[in-house]
Amino acid sequence: MEALALIQAYTGVGIGLIIGLGAAGACIGIGIMCASFLEGAARQPEMIPQLQGKVFLLLGLIDASFIIGVGLAMMFAFANPLLSVVTAAN
Amino acid sequence: MTEERNSTSGLDSNKVFSKMLQWQLSATLVVVIIALIVSGSHAAISALAGGLSVTVGAYFASKIAQRSSKEAATVLVNLLKAEAVKIVIIVVLLFITFKVYKQLVPFALIAGLAAAALFSGAAMSKLDKTELEI
Repeated sequence: MEALALIQAYTGVGIGLIIGLGAAGACIGIGIMCASFLEGAARQPEMIPQLQGKVFLLLGLIDASFIIGVGLAMMFAFANPLLSVVTAAN
Repeated sequence: MTEERNSTSGLDSNKVFSKMLQWQLSATLVVVIIALIVSGSHAAISALAGGLSVTVGAYFASKIAQRSSKEAATVLVNLLKAEAVKIVIIVVLLFITFKVYKQLVPFALIAGLAAAALFSGAAMSKLDKTELEI
């Protein structure tokens, strides 16, 4: 019983770290890219339509790690494999 | 000249967005087939759910991101709105999948999700080709 509570508690901390650090990394990356986009658009405004597609694709790539992290966090929240090992052993 | 170039690149961005969705669907399909062979039908459905949640999110995001403007700030706000909508849709669809589908195989879902998310960047190759053609 105590082991279950410990696993649940540490899993909660892990979920928080996965989502929090993933979101922080994605936000830093998006901030740097958006600053570069604005700089490029200020230098050459005629390039905005061409940069638009690239920025969207790169936003998706930067966010990919965060989205995968969210999926992993949901897996640990709803179908925790560590918890099922302990309950199967008991 | 600038107007012509803008309209041409607008058409190209449509092509790029559709290419991105094609790549995502292809990657999801490959993972679904592998999951079906390795772990059975429940794993295949899980992989499909993971891949489709990312693809549906990317589809609605691309609809918002296609809005064109001459101002860089407006374009940037549209792109960030698109990304926010994409993340919200993906999280909601994943939550529904985890809650509703009881025979879910989590690792297959993560594999489908990761493949679809990472292969969205493969459309960059299409972007480079169309720019060379111009």
